[in-house]
Amino acid sequence: MTISTAPASEPVAADAPPAPGRRRAHRPGQAREWWLGAALVLPALALAVLFKLVPLARGVLTSFESSSGFGGSEFAGADNYTRMFDDPMVLTSFRNALLVVATLPVWIVVPLVLALLIHQRSPGWKFFRAVYFVPYTIAPIVVGIMFRQILAPDGPLNALLRGVGLQPLAIEWLNGRHSALFSLVAVALWSFFGLGVMTYLAGLATIPEETLEAAYLDGAGFWRRLFSVVVPMLRPTVAYWSVLCASGVLIWLFPLIYALTQGGPGDATMLPEYLVFLTTFQFLDRGYGSAIGIALFVFVAVLSIFSVRHMFTEGTRKPR
Amino acid sequence: MFRRSLAGALAAGMAAAALLTGCGGGGDDASDGPVTLKVLTWEPGGTEYWKQVKSTFEAGHPNIKLEMQSVPFDKYPEVQGPYITSQSGPDVMANNAGLELFDRRGAYVPLGDKAAEITKDLVTYSGACEGFDTGKTCYGVPFSYQGNVLYYNKAVLTAAGLDPEKPPATWDEFGAACDAVKKAGKTCLALGLSGTFPAYWDFPEITRNYLTEDDIRALLAGKLSWKDPKLVAVLEKLAEITTKGWANKNAPSITMLPDGADIFQRGDAAFAGTIISDAVNWEAFGKALGDDKLGVTRWPAIDPAAPLAQKFSGIEGAVYGVTQWSQKKQAGLEFITWLAGKENGELWVKYGKGQPLNKNVDKALLPSSPAFLKIQELVAQPTLHAGVMLSGPEADALARGWQQVTLGQLTVDKWAEQMQQALERSPTKKQTK
Repeated sequence: MTISTAPASEPVAADAPPAPGRRRAHRPGQAREWWLGAALVLPALALAVLFKLVPLARGVLTSFESSSGFGGSEFAGADNYTRMFDDPMVLTSFRNALLVVATLPVWIVVPLVLALLIHQRSPGWKFFRAVYFVPYTIAPIVVGIMFRQILAPDGPLNALLRGVGLQPLAIEWLNGRHSALFSLVAVALWSFFGLGVMTYLAGLATIPEETLEAAYLDGAGFWRRLFSVVVPMLRPTVAYWSVLCASGVLIWLFPLIYALTQGGPGDATMLPEYLVFLTTFQFLDRGYGSAIGIALFVFVAVLSIFSVRHMFTEGTRKPR
Repeated sequence: MFRRSLAGALAAGMAAAALLTGCGGGGDDASDGPVTLKVLTWEPGGTEYWKQVKSTFEAGHPNIKLEMQSVPFDKYPEVQGPYITSQSGPDVMANNAGLELFDRRGAYVPLGDKAAEITKDLVTYSGACEGFDTGKTCYGVPFSYQGNVLYYNKAVLTAAGLDPEKPPATWDEFGAACDAVKKAGKTCLALGLSGTFPAYWDFPEITRNYLTEDDIRALLAGKLSWKDPKLVAVLEKLAEITTKGWANKNAPSITMLPDGADIFQRGDAAFAGTIISDAVNWEAFGKALGDDKLGVTRWPAIDPAAPLAQKFSGIEGAVYGVTQWSQKKQAGLEFITWLAGKENGELWVKYGKGQPLNKNVDKALLPSSPAFLKIQELVAQPTLHAGVMLSGPEADALARGWQQVTLGQLTVDKWAEQMQQALERSPTKKQTK
């Protein structure tokens, strides 16, 4: 058998599309296929336009309006957007949002570590696999109410800390400027990390056993296996979870804020999504509320876009 | 005789037509079968009272069925807001009298000339009308009277060495009483600062010592600056309540309802500033502590000589109106007219245990509780309620500022600045400036 170094001729596919610029041969079968394809895509397209683009466009339009109470509204130009830069509550809410985003590494790494421990059948892995997922099945509003009691100054958490001699750690979790935001994030993490563990477990199932075994036999410890084998092979899954977390911490915390702190004390746990709600439904300032909502949308989009692009790149990369 | 009957029928027909006209147009009530009215309410007066409302009203109006959507009071704005924004939902709904109602007036059908007729037997209904002026547009019907008092637990005062029959009447006396209560190991004032309760319940009690009725109207109109020394003094006194340690330490992170009220109901606090009707009133506290242990007094006066210091900050309770988008406006009007009537007034007294607004309610039905009788005495000298004059942003800034001042994160001057900013971004007050 000889190996030729000459470039192989391109195979001619029977259904290859015609080269650009070349006049396409008109075949009745092709037209029928095109119409069938369009008919199949159309419902999804209509739903996307109706339920995604139209509300978004409506939100953008409302953000350029000034309204009084629930009465009529008038065009206000960019007033609502310029107002945001002078509104300390808006600035604080976005500053708090950045602080929350800064905790993302914890959101990404903790479930990954736990997932790997479960995947390698650590003692009690079956129990923990179930237990980790349970908090995710509890409605966030219930989680909020639960933790309001757990984190109360005389609540069970502080009682436990005092009981084991950790009196200095028994702080007023929901009363402090920084401790309240930290508590909110910690409760959210407790509530959501189970989903992360499940996501990573699904990803880990795609890694061949022998790869991990080979790393183990080569003497790689847990952390070495995690960062040198698992993370590179799970990049699309990590990226997917990162996008979920990045958007989740900014737009899915509402029920927890509502039940736990209502944005307080003061503005300590005020996040943009809660401010949108307050401004629109309690201050009755729909235009301004929409403007804050659009600013949040852009903030989340910018944050997510890199991960999404990375995810697509990973997902569409051809195997080497 | 026939001519008189015909005239009567014609008059009745014209009255019905006028009612519809006053209501801004005819309804599309179903002509066959009972009409179902959807009523959004936070159930002021309790579930039992509303059960009675439903059964009594339906018995007298076989053509109308009531479908109640009950929402807890502190969650009510969040449920009602989307209905108003989307202009859909209940046929009849409620708001607190005053600015809360005025903010949402676009959602209600103006009563027009019918307002005077519907409310003819009510002691007052100005809180349902624009600018607290019955000569202006009215949007609904109140049937209860509301306001704030200071409830106290006689057993806690006694244990602290205080005379339960002589509760503190001045600010200094209150401070001294709090010191004694704290020494006895109890909380002096049960308080929750999360949410808008501080604005509704505590702010007007301090305000009466510094503002006149004209000032309170200026507050409503957005013409009284929060940097005005009188309002700054009000904020200073509010701050004192928590910074002097009179209230429970976790006040900034808990709500008054249910958390703050729970502290008092458990017997862990000497005082609680809440309301006279609806939830957490004398009846609920009497049940929890015992009627003989429950005392009621006016909030302590900071300046006993101030013109409003010895008055009662009163306001009509929940105001029920017909929604603009309702297709059953006539039935809705029938319902709110009935709410203002004697029959409902008596149900309100009997089951809601509240202060009725209808003048014809049988006095024999009024409760004999000592606390209720004391409240009757206090409400006899009413004045405007400053809490309901605050806009949404102001009420929110008041609560958040108070939380921050309590935690030492904000000075009173900075709080006043934030209040002024809140006033300036209040959509409804901007218009009236």
